[in-house]
Amino acid sequence: MKNTEAFAESLARCGVKYHFAYPITPATDVMKRMAVILPNYGGEMMQMESELAVSSALAGAACTGKLVATSSSGPGLTLMHEAIGFMCAAELPCLMIDSMRVGPGDGDILGAQSDYYVATRGGAHGDYHTIVLAPSSGQEIADIVPQGIRLAYKYRTPVLFVIDGVSAQTTESTTLPDYYDYSAEFDTADWAFTGTQDHPKRALITGSYSHQDGFDMNEKLRAKYATIRENEQMWEQDQVEDAELVVAAFGIHGRMCRDLVFKMRAEGKKVGFIRPISLWPFPERAFTALPDSVKNILVVEMNHGQMIDDVRLSVNGRMPVHFLGKTGGDMPMNTLAEMIAEANRILGE
Amino acid sequence: MENLSSKYGKTLNLDKLTSYCPGCGHGTVTRLVAEAIENLGIMERTVSIVGIGCGGFSHHYMDIDAIEATHGRSPSFAIGYKLARPDNIVFTYAGDGDTCAIGLGDLLHAANKGMPITTIMVNNTVFGMTGGQMSPTTLEGQVTTTTVGGRQVPHQGYPLLVPEMMRAMPGVKYLARESVATPKAIRKAKKSIQKAFECQIKGLGYAFVEIIVPCPTGLKMKVKDSYARCGNEMTDYFQPQVFKDETEQNDVA
Repeated sequence: MKNTEAFAESLARCGVKYHFAYPITPATDVMKRMAVILPNYGGEMMQMESELAVSSALAGAACTGKLVATSSSGPGLTLMHEAIGFMCAAELPCLMIDSMRVGPGDGDILGAQSDYYVATRGGAHGDYHTIVLAPSSGQEIADIVPQGIRLAYKYRTPVLFVIDGVSAQTTESTTLPDYYDYSAEFDTADWAFTGTQDHPKRALITGSYSHQDGFDMNEKLRAKYATIRENEQMWEQDQVEDAELVVAAFGIHGRMCRDLVFKMRAEGKKVGFIRPISLWPFPERAFTALPDSVKNILVVEMNHGQMIDDVRLSVNGRMPVHFLGKTGGDMPMNTLAEMIAEANRILGE
Repeated sequence: MENLSSKYGKTLNLDKLTSYCPGCGHGTVTRLVAEAIENLGIMERTVSIVGIGCGGFSHHYMDIDAIEATHGRSPSFAIGYKLARPDNIVFTYAGDGDTCAIGLGDLLHAANKGMPITTIMVNNTVFGMTGGQMSPTTLEGQVTTTTVGGRQVPHQGYPLLVPEMMRAMPGVKYLARESVATPKAIRKAKKSIQKAFECQIKGLGYAFVEIIVPCPTGLKMKVKDSYARCGNEMTDYFQPQVFKDETEQNDVA
């Protein structure tokens, strides 16, 4: 099935009851599939009139403690940020999917990884983060959705899955999870806004009525984000132990790195790869732990260089960090041959 | 011995002094909303979704769960909430700025969806909390800090008639405009607010009540004069009436 559909099936099978969305290429298949399957799980997909309304309805539903989700693409994610910032401040769990396309502006409907900055830095005001996970295949979507739900409820925070639009529309075999509501592992009774029949009045306030309130809220969030940074870095790596060159890429380019390393190792070249899976928190530990044999890092992205900033921050000047990236055109990404050519060029320097 | 709680019930929180300005109509409307919830016996399953601005304070004076939504988005918040908890009663409460300036799109689509939620829009024809700027409902010629020569229709358009815009929507089952200009008007407003909640309890559809109130501070008027304006110029343009009442339909919930 299409990976957009793998997202929908995985969300529904893992306990998502309500999905709010607005049509946008290349994410629309998620909401279409949800509209068909969610009633079978006792839920509903509600199409809203704009992404502002989508994320606001998402926040309203998340207030009840139930597992809710949305799906969109770059221009939609831009509009959603008002309520994403709200949900981070209000500590509301939810799942979001961004099927990334070429930008800025309305950009192009072709796939890209152009939303790295807005996903990991945020598009709303204030000091906040969303957990950002970047699966690179249909199977990883199915495998990572339960993890995303657990993170969303454990830390009471929105979790954003980012996938480039090419991978999102790829059709491949995926083993889907059996039905299990992962959110049921978490008790929401102590915070959900369900009426005062079982608790005294609760008020969800993300603004501050005193300067101390605002300070306290922000310090609480800062401590939470520090815990997430410490405990939730995720990545895949291979052949870095004796590598001279490490290729770092996420999503589809990260997936291609396996072939790149296999081919170059077969030629006796000492190349390894790191594929970040969590983009926030960024897996800086993977880079700080690199052996001294690594003389260069090549970052490959479907954009003009966004994740490269986090790689550079992580290696902190220990070694040169090079970039190869492409976005748009008839082929909106670099080919494996281009990636290998650039790796060889760096090795030959 | 009778105390205030035995007279007004548990919904209205009488322990707090309100932060509304002296003479503000929000005090009356907040009390009417609390009394409607109390009378209908729905306090424990009711959730208030308030907007940004003076109306955002309203939940402080009610012992019910409350969510302070982002500016203008409370109708969409309410839709999400109602979908996830259809047995709960959810209402939005906000001023004219929140409801029909920044939030007009969310409001009209919520109304058109016809989901059983209730909206109370308190219209004082001015942005109160931010210090008296023009609102979509500012009257023609009305002086505000951003219409210093008075609102000019060729530049700023006409004062927005929100229930008139909603009248054609089949999903809207109770639709009224009331005022707090006089004791008699307040009694009528009380009835409309209660009906707007009954509409939701019966699961009939969307209910909307606009309440015309004075804002002595935002309009820089004496309380007495602002009430006189409320009962004259304001209600001359924003005419109180029940536009639609389909609450007597059979209970479909």
